[in-house]
Amino acid sequence: MAHTLTLRVLDQGVRVDGAEPTSKTLVTATYGAMRGDPGAIDLDYTVGRNIGPATFFMRRQGCEQRTAPDTGTFLARFDEDIAIELQKLRRDLYFVHAAVLTLADVALMLVAQAGGGKSTTCWALLHHGFQYLSDELGPVDLKTLEVHPYARALALKTEPPTAYPLPSNIVRTSRSLHVPGDKLPARLHKRPAPLGAVFFLRYDPLALAPSVRPISAAEAAARLYANTLNPLAHPGDGLDGAIQIARAVGCFELVTADLPATCVLVTAVLNANK
Amino acid sequence: MGSECPKRRSDVSARVVEGEMVVLDRDASLVHQLNVTASFIWDRCDGRCTVSEIAEQVAGAFGTSPDASKEAVTAALRRFAELGLLEHARD
Repeated sequence: MAHTLTLRVLDQGVRVDGAEPTSKTLVTATYGAMRGDPGAIDLDYTVGRNIGPATFFMRRQGCEQRTAPDTGTFLARFDEDIAIELQKLRRDLYFVHAAVLTLADVALMLVAQAGGGKSTTCWALLHHGFQYLSDELGPVDLKTLEVHPYARALALKTEPPTAYPLPSNIVRTSRSLHVPGDKLPARLHKRPAPLGAVFFLRYDPLALAPSVRPISAAEAAARLYANTLNPLAHPGDGLDGAIQIARAVGCFELVTADLPATCVLVTAVLNANK
Repeated sequence: MGSECPKRRSDVSARVVEGEMVVLDRDASLVHQLNVTASFIWDRCDGRCTVSEIAEQVAGAFGTSPDASKEAVTAALRRFAELGLLEHARD
């Protein structure tokens, strides 16, 4: 049976059509938290699975079909396509590869290299009074320094530590784990939030306890720039945007260790930084 | 080396942020953060100041000894060259 998912993402209308159960379920679970009246359709997708070899496909209107051999690759390609297209449609926003939460309506951004513990730390913080704003994309409006919501399912590469177990009904692909918005242990923050702090995460397996240090605006700007997805859409090849953010908010290097202790530390830093 | 006039590449972008330089090298897809001393030295890599003159200016600005200043400048220039940030380093 045909199924249409309509989303309102970063003020853009997105439609995803599909009848095949696996691909439909994957996209719905991953993006369903952004369901809404799309208004005019800016991005129009069809997803499915070919008969014969188990090959998933996605096709954006006007573009060639892309295929994937497994669920993980399929979702990764869909994620990549929608993220790039949104960056084209919202060139005014400064997209940082980050997870973003809010505490008392103020956003904090978690930035890390791949495998640096960004999403795992985000997952843990959601158990400590934080609300969920986005994962993977941190779209910043440089005029207001607000971060826009992008409530894609929280993506984890591995099971989190036992202190923060996953619910049973999450999406598991061949590559990763995805916790849909309605399965998170916290509420979704559904409107833009002023950015209050940026944490650059570093996982040190030898660290006995987490630690945090304020970093200079120059260091923060360099680190932020390295994680910016669309710098060339902005003046100064995007460097000015990174500097603007780094100057305006508190920036810290966070060495993560024991997760509960890390969450307590982040909360304390934010409260002290108010 | 003291009479050479190091020159930073004209196609890299640099911004001073609270006394420290952030240098964007798009060709190499790298962004660098320089500390205060390196920023001071970078600022003088204009193709007109000699290494000796830069070292003298470092000594004047930071109160370091001539030897320490020369060592700091030499080290910074070597690092800039390794990173390909100077004109002559790319020749």
